[in-house]
Amino acid sequence: MDAIVAQSVTKTYRVGVGRARIREMLPPPIDVGVRRLFPAWWLRNTFDALDGVSISIPAGSAVGLVGHNGAGKTTFLKIVAGVTSPSRGSVHVSGRIAALIDALVGFHPELTGRENTYLLGAMHGFSRRTMAARIDQILDFAEIEALVDTPLKRFSAGMAARLGFAALTALDVELLLVDEVLAVGDASFQRKCVEWLQGYRERGGTLVFVSHNLSLVRNMTERAVWLDHGRVVGDGPSGTILTRYVGAMERRRDAGPRGLGRHEIRTAMVADGRNRWGAGGAWVDEVHVEDPAGNGSALEMDLTYDAPALDAAVFCVGFVDEAGNDVGTAASQPMAIPGDHGAVRCVIKPLPLRTGVYFPVVAILSPDGRVRDRWKLDRAVVVQRDGDLTLDLGPIEIPADWSTGS
Amino acid sequence: MAGFAWAIVPSLITLGAATLVFHKVARIETGAIPYSVFVFAALAPWTFFSSSLNFGVPSVIQGQAMLTRLAFPRAALPFSMVGLALVDLAVASVTFVAFAYAMGEGLPITALWYPGLLLIEIVLTVGIVLFTSALNVFARDVKLAAPLLVQLWLFLTPVMYPLTSVPQSLRGYYNLNPMTGLVESFRRVLLYGQAPDPAMLLPTVVGAFVALALGSWYFAATEARFADVI
Repeated sequence: MDAIVAQSVTKTYRVGVGRARIREMLPPPIDVGVRRLFPAWWLRNTFDALDGVSISIPAGSAVGLVGHNGAGKTTFLKIVAGVTSPSRGSVHVSGRIAALIDALVGFHPELTGRENTYLLGAMHGFSRRTMAARIDQILDFAEIEALVDTPLKRFSAGMAARLGFAALTALDVELLLVDEVLAVGDASFQRKCVEWLQGYRERGGTLVFVSHNLSLVRNMTERAVWLDHGRVVGDGPSGTILTRYVGAMERRRDAGPRGLGRHEIRTAMVADGRNRWGAGGAWVDEVHVEDPAGNGSALEMDLTYDAPALDAAVFCVGFVDEAGNDVGTAASQPMAIPGDHGAVRCVIKPLPLRTGVYFPVVAILSPDGRVRDRWKLDRAVVVQRDGDLTLDLGPIEIPADWSTGS
Repeated sequence: MAGFAWAIVPSLITLGAATLVFHKVARIETGAIPYSVFVFAALAPWTFFSSSLNFGVPSVIQGQAMLTRLAFPRAALPFSMVGLALVDLAVASVTFVAFAYAMGEGLPITALWYPGLLLIEIVLTVGIVLFTSALNVFARDVKLAAPLLVQLWLFLTPVMYPLTSVPQSLRGYYNLNPMTGLVESFRRVLLYGQAPDPAMLLPTVVGAFVALALGSWYFAATEARFADVI
C-alpha cells in the first residue's frame, strides 16, 4: 500500500512583489475568469517550483529527496504535509502524518516550550492530557528540562529544533517528513535523532528525508529521488542516485568559469586554515588528477611542490568522503627531493573504493610525522562501480576471491 | 503582566473618558439612566466587536510560523482571537451587572434577550473577521486600515451618545449601520426593560448573515494559498 501518491504535481509560485498579490487575492471562480481574460498578465512573474512530479512512496519505506537549493524538495514536503496545495495534480496521503519543515515544526514564539508541545499535540489530534503524560519523555529526549516554561522566542535555534524533533517523537506518526533536521543541533543530538529514526523505521514507519548530508541520506534511506528544477530526474536505489547526483554536481562545477576538464583538478593556492594547514617548509603547488576510465577505478595524480632540498619527505594522498570522514591514505616511502620546484607522480590502480564521492587530500610530511602541508581539495573524485548492489558497510573495496562449492 | 485586568480596564478607561468628555463637557444627556450605565451597556458589546477586529485581522499573518509548517484549519487563527474577545466580554458583562446594581439601576427581565443579541453579534463579527483576516494576507493595508475604520465606526454608532440625539435627517443612514440596531437593542433589553425592536434589528441580522456568508466563503476559497503568499 502506498503511503504517499503524488500524481503530476505542479506548484506554481509568484515571484516578485507588488501587484502580483492582486492575482492571489481573487477567490475562485473569479480568478479563473481573470486568468482566461488576461492570460499573459496572469502568468507573468511565475515559476514552477514543482513541474509534473509523480512519486509513489509505499508504506514502511524510506525515501531521500536530493537536489540543489530551489529544486523543489521543501515544496514537495509542504504539499504532502498539507501546508499548501498543488497548483495542478493531486497528492494522496494515508496515515497519521507529521512534518518537520526547515527543521522546525511550526512552534509559536510567544508560547513556552510546554505550551508549544501541547499545541503541536493538539494540531496532531492529541489531547492536552495525552501530551502532558508524554512531556517528560519529550523533555528527556530534547535535554531541555530547564527551559520548559520559557517562551520559545528565548530558545536558541538549536534548542528549538531539539524540542521540535523531540515533540515529533511523541506523536505516534506513521508518516514522517523530515527536512534538514540535522542541520541544527550538535553531534550527540544528531546521533540521537538518527537512532530514533532508525527505530522508527524498524517499527514500520514511512520516512521522507531531505538533506544535503548525502551520507546520511544514503544511510537512512533505501531509495532516493533526485529533483532538479522541480522535475524528477532520478528515482532509484539511494547509492546509485546519489552517485549520479554528486557526479552531476561535480560536472556542473567543472563546467564553471574555471573551465577545467572533467577529471582534472588544479586549484589555486589558498591556505584558508580549514581545508589547508601545515607546519610549512614544503608546499604542494599544484595537483592534477586524471581519472583515465572516467569511473574512478584508477587515478593518476601529479603533484608539483615547492620546497628546499630535503633529505626525506613523505608524500601522501588520502581521501575523505562527502561527510568528511577519513577513508584511506596512500603514503610514499621517505624520498630525498631536490630543492625548489619538483614533481611527484602517484598512480593508484586500482582505487579500492566503492561507489561514492571522495575528496582527495594531498600532503607532504617529514619522516617524523610532522605535517608540512595538508590540503583537502575541493573537487571530488566520483567512483561509480557497475552492479554495486551490496550491503553498505563502508567505502573500502576489499579484494577477495569467491567461489561456489558443491 | 496585568493579566485579566486587561479584559476590563481599557473599557473602564474609555467609559471614564467618555463620561468626562461627552457628559460633563459636551453635556450629552441620557434621561433617567445615568450616562455611565447608558454607555457601558453598549460599550461592552462594542468592545467585543472592536477587539475581535483589531486582533483578528492580523491573526492569520501572526500565525505565519505555524501556517507555513503545519496543516490545520486556518480559521482557528481568527477564531481564537474572537474567542479571546468573548472572554473579555464575559468579564465586562459581569462588571456591568455589578455596576448597574451599584448605580441603583438593576437588571430588567428582558436581559434574558442578551444571549440572543450576542449570538447575532458573534455572527456579524466572525463574518467580518474572516473576510478581513484573509484579505490581510494578500494586502497588509487591511491591518493598518482596520483600527482606523473601527475607530470611525465607533463614532458613527450611537455608543457614547443616544440615538435620539442624532438629527432625523441622518437617522436613515444610521439605521443602515448594523451596529446601530445592535447597540440600541442591547440598551433596550438591559436598561429599558423592552424587547428588541424587530424593525431596528433587521439590518443587523441581514448584515450579520451576509457578512458570515461572504467572510466564510472568501476565507475558505483563499486559505489554501495563505502559506504561499504570506
